[in-house]
Amino acid sequence: MLAPALLAVAALLLWPLGRVVWMSFQDYGLPQIVTGTSNYNGLDNYADILGQSYLWTTVLPNTVLFALACVTLTVVLGTLVALLLARLSPLWRTLTASAIMTAWAMPAVTGTYVWIWLFDPLGGAVVTGLDGLGLVDAGDTNWFTDRLGFYAIATLNVVHHGFPFVAITIFAGLLTIPRELHEAGIIDGANAWQRFWAITVPSIRPVFSVVIILSTIWDFKVFVQLYLMPGGSGANPDVLNLGVWSYVESFAQRQYGMGSAIAVLLTLLLLGITTVYIRTLFKESEEL
Amino acid sequence: MTGTPRATALTRLGHTAALAALLAFTLLPVYWMVTSALDPRAGARGSSILPSGLTLDHFQRVLDQGGFGRFLLNSALVGVGTVLLAGLLALLAAVAVARFRFRFRTAVLIMVLIVQMVPLEALVIPLFVQMRNLQMLNSLIGLTIVYLAFSLPFAIWMLRGFVAAVPREVEEAAYLDGCGWFRMFRSVLLPLVAPGLVATSVFSFIVAWNEFVFAFTFLQDEEKFTAAVGLHRFFGQHTNDWGAVMAGSTLITLPVLVFFVLAQRRLSHGLAAGAVKG
Repeated sequence: MLAPALLAVAALLLWPLGRVVWMSFQDYGLPQIVTGTSNYNGLDNYADILGQSYLWTTVLPNTVLFALACVTLTVVLGTLVALLLARLSPLWRTLTASAIMTAWAMPAVTGTYVWIWLFDPLGGAVVTGLDGLGLVDAGDTNWFTDRLGFYAIATLNVVHHGFPFVAITIFAGLLTIPRELHEAGIIDGANAWQRFWAITVPSIRPVFSVVIILSTIWDFKVFVQLYLMPGGSGANPDVLNLGVWSYVESFAQRQYGMGSAIAVLLTLLLLGITTVYIRTLFKESEEL
Repeated sequence: MTGTPRATALTRLGHTAALAALLAFTLLPVYWMVTSALDPRAGARGSSILPSGLTLDHFQRVLDQGGFGRFLLNSALVGVGTVLLAGLLALLAAVAVARFRFRFRTAVLIMVLIVQMVPLEALVIPLFVQMRNLQMLNSLIGLTIVYLAFSLPFAIWMLRGFVAAVPREVEEAAYLDGCGWFRMFRSVLLPLVAPGLVATSVFSFIVAWNEFVFAFTFLQDEEKFTAAVGLHRFFGQHTNDWGAVMAGSTLITLPVLVFFVLAQRRLSHGLAAGAVKG
């Protein structure tokens, strides 16, 4: 009974993963796709990628800094919202949770278009609003062409889409903390900040770990939110992250071997992060 | 908690302000999308909070000229196909894992993790080549099969919890009454895990409905476009027609919103059940 499911997963996840590694050792272009022949070039793709200053000055900083910013903001905002939810009356809690759900449910594609529209240089709400206040000049403001502006908008988009999961998960964790702990803390004269770090965080440390791991994994491989933004699909090389670079190399340049090698590097990066996190998780559960 | 009435009032004020800011931030995109879609002069809207009027023209335009009717139908077909396939395979696998004392809990968890961890680019390149060889690039069936792989591990994980929650005694009672395994499965187990199946189906449907990268890479024929790819094409052709782009976005978002709100409870329950029971 397990066989069909295992077969499907093996054929559609494990086999392609093996194949992408195999393709990354080749100069795999259109001719290879059409004829199905192999064209090995050893480690050339990897040497090419790792030897480029483009990787080290643009793509890697974009990927890492963007992911770090997104994870930090998502987790901080999600935690604050969870703490707020815990203090609301049941009615407001349900209402707020439903509102948060809409942010989570919004598909990445449509959400991204809405943020593009909000920040559109020609008549978008933010530019027009700030122009009306005299803060920017609508005529020569285009945040999408600027690397920092581009990523600021993408960060806003990703955090908006990602914080509900963190908030709901941490809120569920908060409910498991016995009230007595906080009451004891209050009697001992601890303020809210001290109680958060001394009681809340240690009590639900595993929940925080899971939330941080998943957010990190997701934010390192953000694709749609960047690719759909103006210039994000390769027209502006300054704003690519590893995932988009891999896709553009493959499907715009038809360098499938190069694209595969970049994808393998990104996978290894994520594998490394996951392993480190899982190790710390297990260490913590041993200590407990 | 905090001594004086004045401090309490201040805390309450702080809570209210935080709540208002949170709701504004959370609901802004949905609100802006829907109101822009209804605004007859959406492109000239600027930062005015209320739309200048209400009209369904934009919706009519994307459905008639943009071909969104076709795109939405394609997305629905792919979604339903994914739900049926994933539901069937996941149910069988979940029963096996939950009932037959395999030590597959870790294996399923690792599969879920792999699906979460592997970047889509690492899969889209080899699967593109594979599907090209199989002549399934421009087909909705090919796309459905790919989505199956993405929703399956998670679906197994969720359903496992629901199956494990059914008391073993209920099954044994059915056997005592002379049922064979299939009869027991159909008349006892299936009705009891039906809520879990609903939650899993909603999840699988949303995965398929929202997916962009594979649909965008695989589908070349406009007849076959799913809604997300259709929206991308439409935006490329009518970049500044924001009313229509937002109308298309609304059409794609609404079904997901409805599903999410309806299944919210069961989804979170399923997540918890998958993790705890067993």
